[in-house]
Amino acid sequence: MNNNPFAYSEIVKEHFLNPQNFLMGDEAKYPHDAEGIVGNPICGDQMKMFLCIKDDKITDIKWKTYGCASAIASTSALSELAKGKSLDEALAIGPKEITEFLGGLPQHKIHCSVLGHEALAEAIKSYRSSTHQRS
Amino acid sequence: MSEDNSEPIYLDYAATAPLLSVVKNKMLEIMEMQATGQVSNPSSLYSAGQRGKEILEEARQNVAKLVNADPSEIIFTSGGSEANNTVANIFSDQKIAISAIEHPAMLEAVKSRTHQYVEIPVDRWGFIELVKIPKDSDLISVMLANNELGTIEPISALVDTYKTKSSFIHTDATQALGKIHIDVRQLGIDYMTLSAHKIGGPVGIGALYVKKDVPYRPLIIGGGQERRRRAGTSNLLLAAGFGEAAKWAWDNWSCKQYAKVAHLRDRLRDRILNEIPYSSINSPNNNCLPNILNVSFQAAEGESIQLYLDLEGISISTGSACAAGDLSPSHVIMATRHDAEVAHNSIRFSLGTNTTSTDIEHVMNVLPKIIKKLQGMSTIKLKERHE
Repeated sequence: MNNNPFAYSEIVKEHFLNPQNFLMGDEAKYPHDAEGIVGNPICGDQMKMFLCIKDDKITDIKWKTYGCASAIASTSALSELAKGKSLDEALAIGPKEITEFLGGLPQHKIHCSVLGHEALAEAIKSYRSSTHQRS
Repeated sequence: MSEDNSEPIYLDYAATAPLLSVVKNKMLEIMEMQATGQVSNPSSLYSAGQRGKEILEEARQNVAKLVNADPSEIIFTSGGSEANNTVANIFSDQKIAISAIEHPAMLEAVKSRTHQYVEIPVDRWGFIELVKIPKDSDLISVMLANNELGTIEPISALVDTYKTKSSFIHTDATQALGKIHIDVRQLGIDYMTLSAHKIGGPVGIGALYVKKDVPYRPLIIGGGQERRRRAGTSNLLLAAGFGEAAKWAWDNWSCKQYAKVAHLRDRLRDRILNEIPYSSINSPNNNCLPNILNVSFQAAEGESIQLYLDLEGISISTGSACAAGDLSPSHVIMATRHDAEVAHNSIRFSLGTNTTSTDIEHVMNVLPKIIKKLQGMSTIKLKERHE
């Protein structure tokens, strides 16, 4: 018998217990170049990504998440995977990569990894459209 | 339970109460008798069968006594769900009024058997709106106490107002059993659902109280057991366990013990309201089971709270059924608060007779920090609510 049974994988547990790169408190106090938000509290989860970008590269990344353990772990994992990557490389981090990185998610929680990916894509899209408008 | 904080703290009695040691011992004794051939199928005429029958009937008497029923009115079932399905099945294709916050084991059992059902709305605290019940209902089914909120429904008033010769009343007493005094005669209901594992009995056995001379139709047919009202070889072992749990509840005045538990629950409620900003209580202050507290924390999702508490050794349940694989918010909190966010943010503490003030202390040592962390990382901005 497992002495410490937990509902998710050990990696999910670690990211849930010690989430990386999350933005505590007021987001206005964190200067950033782009942000993207997806999900809806009415559905039980919502994620927001904040990006600092220099020379088309993600130099820093923060996030906020409202949701379950796998939603928190998915955003935390994604922030680790995307940090330091070029925007194109970051966009290529799909739900499959997030799920694999976490050591798997239950079928009914796969949407958490999809939301993470979509929030990041949304942030990058908004950055590209704003820089395009400026140039 | 836990003088030492490293010991697990179980606050999910409403899901399943720990098996009582007297029940375990009784069941071990029966198993030994079964293994050595001293008892056998209660339907058999030889001695071992008759010994089994004696044990079965003693169990029935103990269950009946706890709710002041006649033993002949108690039918053993595989649990509360079967008892509820049996009642719904009796009234297939008839007019059924059912509270909006019934357990799915009754709600879905009814909806799958008749199109002529009406959901009785409830107020902010889960109390049914009596006046909304159609007078021509063939069956009215309202739980004695709600499993998520603890709300004790006004069953006697319901009976006084709606009981007629042609309408019958069922109450699901699964959560109320052993927590508050139950007397089927005083209540005046026709059917009552009971379950063993909420009072320290085994999982897999329940009972249906059926008043004499009310409509009945077996759900499971093909045998003469339970006076031809529920076919299938009598589950002697589990029935004996249920009987022993009922006997323990009667002999130990479990309702009085639970009245003391209410003080711990109230302390937990007051401390949460005082010490955790943006919390709101979903359970009523009055007419509530003594051991249940349902609470919502703005911007903090229930499953996350549940799992952070789990990592601290504290077991509670969540109003968001997310953890169980169903992503929809609790139908109970939706019916009372009409707000999906509040429903997703709800958790339920359910205390037991083993819960100590140290347990509550430990919860309050860790819960405020958990909520603060979740609220801090949440996308949702905190706001004052005016109710």
